Amino acid sequence: MEVTYDKYSLMADGKRVFIKSGAFHYFRTPGESMARDRFFKMKAAGYNAVDIYFNWNYHSKAPGEYDFSGIKDVRKVLKAARDAGLFIIARPGPFINGEVNAGGLPFWLLRMEDVIPRNRIGTEYKYSEKYMKYISEWYDNIIPIINEFDNVILFQIENEYATDTMEEDYMRELYKMARDRGVTCPIFHNDAYFAGLWANCVDIYALDLYPYINPNQNWKQDNFCFDTLDNVEDIFRSSKEDSPPFIAEMQAGWFDKWDGSGYKHIREALGDEHINIMTKTALSQGVTLFNHYMIAGGTNWGNLACDEVYTSYEFTAPIDEFGIPQSNFYKAKEINYFLDSFDFTCTEPKEFEFYQENIYAKMRHDNTNNCDWLFLRNMNNEITEINPFGNIKTKLKPYDMKICPINLQLKGCTVEFSDMEIFARLHNEDEEVIFIIADKNSFIKILDNEIISGDKKDYDNIKFEKNGKTTQFVFLTKKLADKSWFLKDKVIFNADYVLPNGAIAVEKNTEIAYFDLKNKFSKKNCIVTEFNDYSKPEQLTISSIDFCAPEIDMDYNYSEWKKLENKTDSLSCELYDEFVWYKGQIPNSVEEITLSARHLFAVYINGKEVLNRNSYKIEKLQEVPETISIPLDKKILDKNLNELTILVQNLGFDKGFSGDTNNPRGLVLFETKPDTKIDLYAEEKLSIERNDFRQSESPYLTKITAKFDIDLKDNVFFAKYISFENFRCRRATIFLNGIKIGRYIKRTNVQDKFYLINEFLKPHNTLEIVVWEKDRNIKSPWGFKSDMKNVIIKIGTQKMYQLFK
Amino acid sequence: MVVVPEFLIRRIYQKGSLKKLDNGASLILKNVLGPGFISGFNYVKINDIVYSPEEVKFITNGEELLGTEVSEAAPIAFRLGQTGTLIMEGKTSITDGKNKIEIEALNPEAGKVKLTVEDNCA
Repeated sequence: MEVTYDKYSLMADGKRVFIKSGAFHYFRTPGESMARDRFFKMKAAGYNAVDIYFNWNYHSKAPGEYDFSGIKDVRKVLKAARDAGLFIIARPGPFINGEVNAGGLPFWLLRMEDVIPRNRIGTEYKYSEKYMKYISEWYDNIIPIINEFDNVILFQIENEYATDTMEEDYMRELYKMARDRGVTCPIFHNDAYFAGLWANCVDIYALDLYPYINPNQNWKQDNFCFDTLDNVEDIFRSSKEDSPPFIAEMQAGWFDKWDGSGYKHIREALGDEHINIMTKTALSQGVTLFNHYMIAGGTNWGNLACDEVYTSYEFTAPIDEFGIPQSNFYKAKEINYFLDSFDFTCTEPKEFEFYQENIYAKMRHDNTNNCDWLFLRNMNNEITEINPFGNIKTKLKPYDMKICPINLQLKGCTVEFSDMEIFARLHNEDEEVIFIIADKNSFIKILDNEIISGDKKDYDNIKFEKNGKTTQFVFLTKKLADKSWFLKDKVIFNADYVLPNGAIAVEKNTEIAYFDLKNKFSKKNCIVTEFNDYSKPEQLTISSIDFCAPEIDMDYNYSEWKKLENKTDSLSCELYDEFVWYKGQIPNSVEEITLSARHLFAVYINGKEVLNRNSYKIEKLQEVPETISIPLDKKILDKNLNELTILVQNLGFDKGFSGDTNNPRGLVLFETKPDTKIDLYAEEKLSIERNDFRQSESPYLTKITAKFDIDLKDNVFFAKYISFENFRCRRATIFLNGIKIGRYIKRTNVQDKFYLINEFLKPHNTLEIVVWEKDRNIKSPWGFKSDMKNVIIKIGTQKMYQLFK
Repeated sequence: MVVVPEFLIRRIYQKGSLKKLDNGASLILKNVLGPGFISGFNYVKINDIVYSPEEVKFITNGEELLGTEVSEAAPIAFRLGQTGTLIMEGKTSITDGKNKIEIEALNPEAGKVKLTVEDNCA
């Protein structure tokens, strides 16, 4: 495919194309079949492109080692995108951010001498040849795979990059590296500061826009948060005049943090008004390439997360973490279908003088359809009457935005003005049917005809004829529009969603209706046979309780562990896992130990806990380190040589946007008073992950095991979860069939429902939950073990759909 | 420190706006970066003279606020394109020729934002 561009849009093989993309993280939605499911849902909602970050760290555990097999097989992901009919926006970094561990840079790279990640220390540019050498290695591995797919339409280098002095060497070298490896499509960078950064180093200038980044903010009240978006065309034109306006990341949700307010709050705060305003305002500014970030939520399983984020990366995306379409999905679908109905790739701003408080108004002339489009946005908290022209009044709901055609010439009539939402359009040479969303406050004014009120019921219609050609308007209520799907040459009604091959998904018995220009309406009944009532989660039966930290036991042999030299942090020890154990012997002459660890840690001496601490703290995007001294007396050090065990839980490396990716993790500081040399040994992971599980005497880490079965069927989509709603323990790590799928910290209160990732489910499943408790919660090991049997863990079904061919 | 390049932050300062007052100085800021909030003024330093928040006034959008009145609990909106005048009182700081200006303010999301520029007195 040859991809070219001009100031209006991209062109694929010479044909203008409007890019409606959504960002998808294959590593957070693992495996081909889950990727395929999300891509098919995207396509059904009118998206024509998917933006894919390639996560270097996910594929490379050591220099020269790259794993693209099994669930890491990106070819299968790219093939699934191609099968769904989506273009690909390839974003292989090297740095990606995305709230992933170390921003996607491999752990091994962070510790290398002479490597300066991103050629930047703080805000200062510092070129590192060795860093560039390893980028070559990554590009040598990833770009040939990307090049196998001719639906790759854009390629990004770096991400959200800036330095104080803005030297161009790094970006120019990345550009050349990509071209030298056969990338032929346009190359861009994503400017987080919307300041024209790197515009001269790439083909197409692109930026990201997130007006809502603080969940405590009320974007409806502080509506000036759209100031940048409202002026973005000027930014594009002044940055790079000859390339099309491209919002490489356009807010479609937002991520939550450990100390955040929870995804429920963010989803309610954004509603579906936010994505509507974002997308339509972008259109009003001439944007012809947008990428909704994110289109699908994901899960931070394994060690994927950076320190800021917890297990769910739901992102309040249109398709949620479970793969279920949400209300912003339906809103995005409406806009995408509208863009499929009328070619919007070649428009110009048109002078339009209008002022009304809290009303945004912008006019564009459409060179393709030879009409004007008036964009109106109401930021008042009540229905507001707007009078854009002398004789026309329109009413907008609070925080609503509409695209109103002016003098739109159709086959059978001309729309003089309309403030109704156009949903979809089917047409051939002589006939067109335009589906409109009914709204009693709206209307269509047809030239030389009466005003048509929008107060209509489902399927109400009206037809116009001119010179042997017809235009029929068919009205749909918003409720039916949400369940209506525009698929090639037909519209399918009443389905919960459809797949590009025409398969229909419903969650209850449904009468499906079809419409196409040739056969008009037809019907089909879908009788759901598969489901029992799944509305209530069920309590899981616990099959065993085991103490699982033999590392704390007095007789534990750690002589095979890594002996540490001076530094004890994770990078220096080359132990990058979430959990790192430290062991050594401490003489009774020591009066005090001082330590600093990231992020949660506990100190055990002679098998007894002396401190258990959550040191995680981030303020103003920066971590706040904590150093703690523990006085030791003879009661604690009751032997000449005492067994010291430290367990550190690293919640992730810095994502590298504000801080440095190589900020230390693990045991960052360890000192004794008086200064005494202690030989420390270290090992990573929990014993069950190292296949070192054995019955332990130490009650601090306890493994709860439960088993459950799943009925896997090809014609059923389902999403399951486990609920910790009534879970009494304070910290837990969750394993599904041996794979770490979640971490629970009660204190933060941000997540108590964990997705049982479909890719990891089998007919017979084992769930292991490792609880990490404080000494004060454990009265006696026997009593504690017995108590654990009463822990409540529930399994539930988020949603089920039956699929009909 | 958040990675916003210095040259971008410097754009907020309106060049040529530094004025000498009877017992202080004034300057103008214009938000050309993007909509946001100011949640505090840590200090303004002109040459080697430091003005603490109680010695700083910020006049914007018809409102006059002491530096101490701007906080995380009471942030002020600073829209794209909006201007504001900073008035520093109580100390003489401006000299003939180039003056070194340093302003440290706070933003709810980004934390400390430091602006360092040099300008002649208007």
